[in-house]
Amino acid sequence: MGSRWKGKGAEVKALADPISEIISQLQSSLISSNSKGLLSGTGVLLKADAELTDLLNRACFGRPRVTSEKNEQWFQLSTEEAFYLQYSLNCIKIVDHDDTELNSDELWKHMISRRENFPILFKAFSHLRSKNWVVRSGSQYGVDFVAYRHHPALVHSQYAVLVLSAQDGNANGRLKVWSDFHCTLRLCGSVAKTLLILNIEEQQSCATSPSCLDNYVVEERTITRWSPEQVKINSYLILY
Amino acid sequence: MEADKWASFSEETSDSEGYGEDPDDDDHCCAYASTDIPKLQFRKDISRSRWLDPLGMAEVVERKGGLWTTTGIVRNGKIYCFIEEILYLAEIGALRLLSKDDTPLSLEHVYNKVGEGKSGCSLEYYEAYKHLKSLGYIVRRHGIPWSVRRSKVNCFVNQDTPEPAQSGDEESRNSVLISEMINNMQIGGLRLAFDVYPPNSRFRKSAPGDPCFVLCLASEYPPSKEEIEDLERHSHGIPLKFCLVEHGRLNFFSFNKVELPILP
Repeated sequence: MGSRWKGKGAEVKALADPISEIISQLQSSLISSNSKGLLSGTGVLLKADAELTDLLNRACFGRPRVTSEKNEQWFQLSTEEAFYLQYSLNCIKIVDHDDTELNSDELWKHMISRRENFPILFKAFSHLRSKNWVVRSGSQYGVDFVAYRHHPALVHSQYAVLVLSAQDGNANGRLKVWSDFHCTLRLCGSVAKTLLILNIEEQQSCATSPSCLDNYVVEERTITRWSPEQVKINSYLILY
Repeated sequence: MEADKWASFSEETSDSEGYGEDPDDDDHCCAYASTDIPKLQFRKDISRSRWLDPLGMAEVVERKGGLWTTTGIVRNGKIYCFIEEILYLAEIGALRLLSKDDTPLSLEHVYNKVGEGKSGCSLEYYEAYKHLKSLGYIVRRHGIPWSVRRSKVNCFVNQDTPEPAQSGDEESRNSVLISEMINNMQIGGLRLAFDVYPPNSRFRKSAPGDPCFVLCLASEYPPSKEEIEDLERHSHGIPLKFCLVEHGRLNFFSFNKVELPILP
């Protein structure tokens, strides 16, 4: 399944406005505004001015919170998004409710304490984001993430992403039995997405610091059903 | 006759990958009355083959029709077929299997041979073979040459077995065939089962070209990353597909290594 752009001109529009450019603008804007994210449970809340709101929307980071407040806009970042901005792009600070800053090791430990398989999920997220794919939650489709070629307003997501890891005994428990295969592929087919498996190979345990993430190896594989009936046969002929 | 064949398979063809439409595949797959079970047309051209017990294969003794251009392996001018080929042709009524003393063997005998599992073919393995064959694909056991020229025969003999004489006597032929069977042993729990070629009316065993994929029969659990990689190393660059046979229903899967582009 290729890219499915939303309507005429969407592809041209996307080409003229590359995600990489938007992300680097977002990065500098966050740095210059000295942005602080407020850690709350597993999410992070971030206050945004008009410029930042525009960039977060265009980069597709976080969800804008709908409030009656006229002068300020808040965004809710997922754990992966927040950690990506703090650790990978180094453009926000994260503070707790006491306004105490958490460094990346502390935030890392916090995230893992909330979700055991955060390391491999984050590796998968940052792997795709660093290739300038737009990554959103896949929970609507029963997968870990969905990946878009550009902003979801312009294109349908192309991949439904499941993150697997051999080391953790396949931490998220997916695709261990054939029935789950059928289920997943049937669903992906009906929503026109290709199932993408990211196999994360951990080289060492990452319990205390995210620095070992660099040594993680990511392997990309698509899983597709093949229908032998659908082959284009130039001269359909059963000889006997 | 072709239409009949299609009909008998339509029950399995309905799982379209397409989205949107969702054909109700299970509604028309079961015959209510026994007269609803489709039958293939009777054939006039019936080939004959003789079972060779030590090989678990049959030697074709009388060829009829064009089917032999894509069935059986050629050794020293003779055609030998594996049990799945025998059963497929026997089911469609194109081949009669004879015992050593030339008494005709019934379909039940052939089913029994598959059931024994000694000839490297289980019922699931056969289901996969039959499905692809019925659709016109050209299928052969993985890694076994379609034909071997007399002068090359030695190359295919296992190093450890004594070199057969060039004369092509019974003994040497047998050792050639047996060593081929050994090469086809399984890797781990999984096994590269078939080399599959697209339907091709001009197919020649002497110049078959590369198969379009190698089919691996899936086991009870989905293959692990390591198993897939291991099989890929053994398939010499030919794409792999997995066939899962559950309750007579077939599903084919590809696990393709990809590299997502870095976007602008």
